[in-house]
Amino acid sequence: MKERDYDLYQKILTGDKHALEKIYDKYEKLLYSFAYKTCGHREMSEEVMQEVFMKIWTQKATYDETKGKFSSWIITIARYTAIDVLRKKENQNYALDEEWDAPNEKEPSVEDLVEWKERGSMIREAMKQLPKEQKKIIMLFYFKGLTQQRIAENLDISLGTVKSRIRLALKRLKKELAIIEEKGGVSDA
Amino acid sequence: MPEHCDRLIDYISGELNEEEKRAFEDHLKECSECREEVEEMESIMKDLPFAAEPVDPPEGMKNRVLGSVFEEEQTEPGTVSEDVEQPYEDDKIASLTTHKQGKRVRKPWTALLAAGLLLSVSGNVYTLLNEENEGTDPVVESIDEVMKKVTLSGQQNGTASASIIKQQEDRTLVVEAEQLNQLQGEEVYQVWLINGETPHRAGSFVTNQNGEGAVAFSLEKLKDQGDFDTIAITKEPDATSETPRGDIVLSSKL
Repeated sequence: MKERDYDLYQKILTGDKHALEKIYDKYEKLLYSFAYKTCGHREMSEEVMQEVFMKIWTQKATYDETKGKFSSWIITIARYTAIDVLRKKENQNYALDEEWDAPNEKEPSVEDLVEWKERGSMIREAMKQLPKEQKKIIMLFYFKGLTQQRIAENLDISLGTVKSRIRLALKRLKKELAIIEEKGGVSDA
Repeated sequence: MPEHCDRLIDYISGELNEEEKRAFEDHLKECSECREEVEEMESIMKDLPFAAEPVDPPEGMKNRVLGSVFEEEQTEPGTVSEDVEQPYEDDKIASLTTHKQGKRVRKPWTALLAAGLLLSVSGNVYTLLNEENEGTDPVVESIDEVMKKVTLSGQQNGTASASIIKQQEDRTLVVEAEQLNQLQGEEVYQVWLINGETPHRAGSFVTNQNGEGAVAFSLEKLKDQGDFDTIAITKEPDATSETPRGDIVLSSKL
């Protein structure tokens, strides 16, 4: 039987390397892909992976069940770490040119996280429905982790516009996602 | 819009300081509108990570990451990778092809602390690749010394440089090649050190999609073979050739 993340995590706390390895194997691809979305750079993404697992192993980041699902927690750690790594690089400008454009990568294979497989295709589909400027603001705000101030400067819009655009983009995404869910997900066709 | 409600986006994006955050959370208790909106925003943000398109992690990342993570608590050298597969082949071939761009990102390499030789070699590769930056941002403190450096050339595509680095009593050959033709199937580029008529295997490597490849090879096992007069790179059908089966792609006198 597969061990639960929480049980594995408890073993990690006692210094069980195999437990950390199991968690690593389970989340490697998701976290790496996510870091890559943020950093857009392979070496930086690997640096993120290393910092994430270092934080878990050395217990600089600790999990307990009141924090919700383990998967959400580890993703959050990865997100802040990735944003942190990205911010440390002096020149972020290249990141600003990034559009949402999804590369034609293949879908996750069956052994990958079920949640990712299920939600991922729906969210990507929902993202496609958003106007370009809303896609961009989500990219900058969420994935690139830019402050609203920086977004305002870079897009040359007011701080108020940044706020309302983030708000609208997230609401719209939620709405599009609901429509897709109602249709029963993304068809394979 | 009331002042507090205006902070909603700052709150979900984590841009509030502790005091502001507490104030907003107090406000949330009273303002159902904001509460609902925060929940709505947070629920969609929780889904966003899954929007990342799957990207295949680079080869060997697991060993590098876990190797350096486990090292964090290790006090005795040499036990670092006990729980993960050994990332290195016996003859200390380290393919640098996937990491050639790693100019500023050095942390993943700390996994290599496990193998002192390789650490020092990667440091030198770094130095060789970035000679213009030499001294400004050294990877590791090192007293290594480049004993010899030559440039290899040939009839076909590609160039390479080879350096022999002295690290205390050990010598290591570092070869870095670029613009090579793509390999097929199990083909490898094999480095040879030649003494008169006798070639000796001195590491093999594969190229990345840009035709770049590199290898670090410990010369310890060849130390009784006398002086080498030539270094050559051939394309071999696989990594097992004891004597060259393919043509010489690049070579240089030593």
